[in-house]
Amino acid sequence: MKTKKMKIKTIHIFIIFIIVVLAQLFIPFQMIFNQETILEKGKAYKFKTQPVDPTDPFKGKYITLNYEINRYKTNDSLWERNEAIYVYLTKDSLGFAKIAAINKEVLLNNGNDYIKAKARWYSKYSKELSIELPFNRYYMEETKAYNAEVAVRNRQRDSLPNNTYALVYVKDGEAVLDDVIIDDMSIKDYVEKGISE
Amino acid sequence: MNSKIQKDIKELVAEQVISEDVGSKIASYYQSKQSDSPNRLFTVFAVLGSTLVGLGIILILAHNWDDFSRSIKTIFAFIPLVIGQIIVGYSILKNKSATWKEASGVFLFFAVGASIALVSQIYNISGDLSDYLLTWILLCLPLIYLLRSNALVLLQIIFITSYACSLGYFSGNKTPWLYLILLASLLPHYYKLLKHKKLHNITSVLNWLFPLSVIIVIGAFVRGDGHFGFLIYVILFGLFYNIGKTPCFNEQKIRRNGYLVLGSLGTVYMLLLTSFKWLWEDVFIDKLNFNSQAFYIALILLCSVLVLVMYSYSKKWIRDFNLFQYAFIFFTLFFMISLVTITTTVILINLLVLILGIMAVKIGADTFHFGVLNYGLLIITALVTCRFFDTNMSFVIRGVLFVGVGAGFFLTNYVMLKKQKSLKK
Repeated sequence: MKTKKMKIKTIHIFIIFIIVVLAQLFIPFQMIFNQETILEKGKAYKFKTQPVDPTDPFKGKYITLNYEINRYKTNDSLWERNEAIYVYLTKDSLGFAKIAAINKEVLLNNGNDYIKAKARWYSKYSKELSIELPFNRYYMEETKAYNAEVAVRNRQRDSLPNNTYALVYVKDGEAVLDDVIIDDMSIKDYVEKGISE
Repeated sequence: MNSKIQKDIKELVAEQVISEDVGSKIASYYQSKQSDSPNRLFTVFAVLGSTLVGLGIILILAHNWDDFSRSIKTIFAFIPLVIGQIIVGYSILKNKSATWKEASGVFLFFAVGASIALVSQIYNISGDLSDYLLTWILLCLPLIYLLRSNALVLLQIIFITSYACSLGYFSGNKTPWLYLILLASLLPHYYKLLKHKKLHNITSVLNWLFPLSVIIVIGAFVRGDGHFGFLIYVILFGLFYNIGKTPCFNEQKIRRNGYLVLGSLGTVYMLLLTSFKWLWEDVFIDKLNFNSQAFYIALILLCSVLVLVMYSYSKKWIRDFNLFQYAFIFFTLFFMISLVTITTTVILINLLVLILGIMAVKIGADTFHFGVLNYGLLIITALVTCRFFDTNMSFVIRGVLFVGVGAGFFLTNYVMLKKQKSLKK
């Protein structure tokens, strides 16, 4: 009798455990699915950028991307730090991403793509809002991250126009950073080429 | 079973001190006792082992292998997770020993973290550290109850605390309300431990970790008016002291009673800190904002300690008057007085610390506890040292004070030692 009861209890625990297992699998799957959909169906934008190299304890080496479009001129001065904002995008004559508008809520009558981002601070002096784009980390193999930073710095010292940009796919407010491109080359290959040279 | 016991039983049976029947009963008693307590040391090593393996996997994945394609990296993200799940599932189904459950649970815990981390790596998801930790914590919370794992409770407390710190202090500057719910979700397990395994080491560790976690995090709840932070901390330490005085904890050794020790030390520290006049003058220039989150939290805390004290009274747990238990009430009064006059408040706080020191000396002397006695003397010394810096007393008076307290150390210890010796005789 007792063993039977225990068995039933074990099975109950096991069923709950299976639910937990499904949840544990579902979350990463859902993350992957979301990102893949954006990559597949989203529109590609190029963001001019400059990389530097820090570390995350759990996720390893990455380069932080400082985007050239990280400020927006506006007369509205009421922005809270880390407040959610919607950045509407358009492209400039060279095909790089440009901010069309920034708003605190989704604009219904604006056909442009938008990204959910964070407000950083507002400078009353220059009347500019500083923003943080949600895709400022690009993970790299640990040996390459620092070299990438150096490579880009050297590249810019050659006084050539900055043509380092992040390739970002955008769909319904969400964005996936697909690659960082220097001289029409993925930054991974660029660094490898730099090392072999 | 211990071979010495076996030998002794044989000898006792041979010498006819006990009958053969009793001998075999004793032998089987020791045998059953042994199987009841599985090798704890082995459990500890197994947990340590899976912690290291889990962390190692996270590090290896954090290398960010560029040579593999996105899809292969994705498969890698799931391998440790699925392995962990299979081992945990096996130990649940086969109802394996606690060692199995603890070790596999810890491994799965880290595998979950590794898999989310790797996916965010592959797709360059920035995300806040607090979001990442929260997902991790939530996905592993049920494992504590499914596996009855103590190691997981330890890990969860640490992770919940770092989540709250990350959200409240570092990145977000938001109030980590969810922390309260997460911490509460660990309480049923803790309660069970307190009820059935009160004297186990794991319970003592939790007796320290729970209050420590709250002490670290409560600062993130002080929003709107930081001045109430002092009040909140004093009341919180009062709460811990009073929890430590409930029979459940008070019957235990002091080193197992984190609530009592932290509550007492914290109270004295906060009172010494606020015994400086400049602190009140500098900090309290602005008017207090009574319509702030900080004030309401102080109020809720105060009410809950008062309820606890009254409950303790009704249960007759409180017999003697112990000022440490009520220090927070006095401090709250003094805090309110500071709205009118700062000087009076500072004098009253100094008096309170002095009386607390004397009370501790008295308690130590009454119970022949040298530790408590000297703790009281240390409180008085600390108070004198603090006043050394900010009063315009002449050097002679300060010197005399120091000599006096120093002599007090010798005298009280000596008197007590002598008393103890004469009692022994």
